[in-house]
Amino acid sequence: MNTNNNVYTVIYTTVIVVVVAALLAFVSQSLKSKQDANEKAETISQMLTAAQYGTKADLDKLSNVAKLDKYAQEIDKAFIINLSGEKLGDLPLDKVYGSKDLKRQNYNIKGGANKTAEPEIPVFIFKNGRTVVPIYGAGLWGPIWGYLSFEQDACTIGGAYFDHESETAGLGAKIKDDPSFQASFVGEKANFADANVFDIVKGGAPKDAEGKSLIDNKIDAITGATMTSQGLDAAIDTWLAAYAKYFIGAAPAAEKNPCQCASCPCEECPCDCHCTPGQDGCHCPGCECPECSGNMKHVEE
Amino acid sequence: MDAKLKETILNPIFKGNPITVLVLGICSSLAVTVTLKGALVMALSVIVVTGISSLILSLLRNTIPGRVRIIVQLVVVAMMVILVDQILKSFEATYAIDKQLSVYIGLIITHCIVMGRIEAFALGNKPWPSFLDGVANGVGYGLILIIVAFFRELLGSGTLFGFDILNRFGYVPNNLVILPPFALILLGCIVWVQRSIQKDLQEK
Amino acid sequence: MEYLSLFVKSIFVDNMIFAYFLGMCSFLAVSKSVKTAAGLGVAVIAVLLITLPVNYLLNTYVLAPDALIKGVDLSFLSFIVFIAVIAAIVQIVEMLVEKFSPELYSALGIFLPLIAVNCAILGGSLFMQQKDFLNIGEATVYALGSGIGWFLAIVSLAAIREKMSYSNVPAALKGLGITFITVGLMGIAFMTFMGISL
Repeated sequence: MNTNNNVYTVIYTTVIVVVVAALLAFVSQSLKSKQDANEKAETISQMLTAAQYGTKADLDKLSNVAKLDKYAQEIDKAFIINLSGEKLGDLPLDKVYGSKDLKRQNYNIKGGANKTAEPEIPVFIFKNGRTVVPIYGAGLWGPIWGYLSFEQDACTIGGAYFDHESETAGLGAKIKDDPSFQASFVGEKANFADANVFDIVKGGAPKDAEGKSLIDNKIDAITGATMTSQGLDAAIDTWLAAYAKYFIGAAPAAEKNPCQCASCPCEECPCDCHCTPGQDGCHCPGCECPECSGNMKHVEE
Repeated sequence: MDAKLKETILNPIFKGNPITVLVLGICSSLAVTVTLKGALVMALSVIVVTGISSLILSLLRNTIPGRVRIIVQLVVVAMMVILVDQILKSFEATYAIDKQLSVYIGLIITHCIVMGRIEAFALGNKPWPSFLDGVANGVGYGLILIIVAFFRELLGSGTLFGFDILNRFGYVPNNLVILPPFALILLGCIVWVQRSIQKDLQEK
Repeated sequence: MEYLSLFVKSIFVDNMIFAYFLGMCSFLAVSKSVKTAAGLGVAVIAVLLITLPVNYLLNTYVLAPDALIKGVDLSFLSFIVFIAVIAAIVQIVEMLVEKFSPELYSALGIFLPLIAVNCAILGGSLFMQQKDFLNIGEATVYALGSGIGWFLAIVSLAAIREKMSYSNVPAALKGLGITFITVGLMGIAFMTFMGISL
């Protein structure tokens, strides 16, 4: 048989391509429901980890059904909001936001040509009082995403879990594999008043004797994984900025925005607080000082 | 087993090693050798993929039109890798394994060894020897991968398979070892050792 | 200005070889002389320049969710489509090189078909998908930059290797061994570009 014949070549290629595409489409369609169920259970265990219902390793010992049950039992409220922090509607119990949903919302948040609709971002409030929100962005090789939980003061981070598609094992993959990196978020405060809500800095944030970061919204990057750390930093900034209005509104009135004063540069003091330069820093509420900069202590009036 | 078949199996493991002699599959060996576990997962997947894709393409070898052979090869390899990925992803028991593996899917598809062996061997040989050649090359590749990963994880993180080995003795992990350039320097040293033993491989 | 910064960045900061270590196989094997290295470098630039915009269009108008028909997500096909496009274009380049420069064709040997599996080419398409370029112009500039970065890397390695043939390298380290080590050191040097923002 002359396999170099033009007609043969064209027919052969067409047949191969059609067969392969059909096979892949068939397999991907018929297995989709099972894959979705696995992904959903994984997403739930990541959110439960962020909300501090146990370590990821412990939660992974549960079966898919047990994970769903635990979620149904522990979730208090789940709803979607828009960028102004207004509630748009409740989320049904079986709807969680995995990486694919986050990808779509990420386009919507960032705007540009890929934007398909106004952003609708989820908020999950668990019965232990922690609020879980997702983040999503680009790492070095592929997407990274994760979940951060906030305490009832609406700015202290209670827990974090991150996942990735293809970061380098041993370096970038540490955002997922290194529990101590995730633990370094705990107790830090997000500065919702600033566009730069949270910082992951290379070379190190100033630390106390126990190695805990002194500056409220800064933690150490992962050594050797500069690009992944930068990607994670950008993802957190983008997404937390999208939640900023919601969290500022959700902060308890008694301690009006303690986090925003803790590190706000005065010129753009967003929290209606008064600032006096000098030792005692920033007085809330009300703000008038043009030259005091950064990292001021919050003083109750 | 006749001598030729034996040669097919043994050659790629040392004398004709895909990485240190044929210079194939370098990209992935840099990316996955930071931890021993990653290296092992990658080595196993490459063994499976080279074996089976060599087999399939060797069966098809007389029907493939010469001018589009690369497209056909790549489509078959990619299809297989994606199929395995999809199936592993669907079962609760294998989902965790797939999460480990999915990182390497792209790397496996574009793996030079897979393509190199198909071009150089499977397209001119019967299915059974082709299958063996594919598997043997996967093993030869995996061997180097594991040697490199052993040193990189031990010196770079002070651990092996995630278990603390050196750190308990006050070892400070060397971050240079984790960076990709060090894998190249290590590969250079492996080539050095291999060619000191096998003098006929030395270049003029 | 956007284009210029993207261009410079893709050559130096995001260098395919030294920052991402993609496309190493052919990089190491075809860098013995500056002439063949330049030939392969040009081939890589050409292939990247064609495949990336084509894949960009396919990704945006066919594969993305809701792009072709509302409610249909074909992104599971993206790997195979990118690869098929790359392989087809490589095959065309191969035929052209064979016809117009048989000398280069025999020098490149098995590595011409292997451009198809050159991680740098597929990597380019996957990075394109990830970077969410706004228009085809950005994708093309990125392709050109990455290609030139690859070209620069292979030509400079070839130049070093040509010089190195006059040095007294231990017998067992000659050739491949010393090349590995050289590339490692070049990689460390290129790390200085990392993190520069333009």
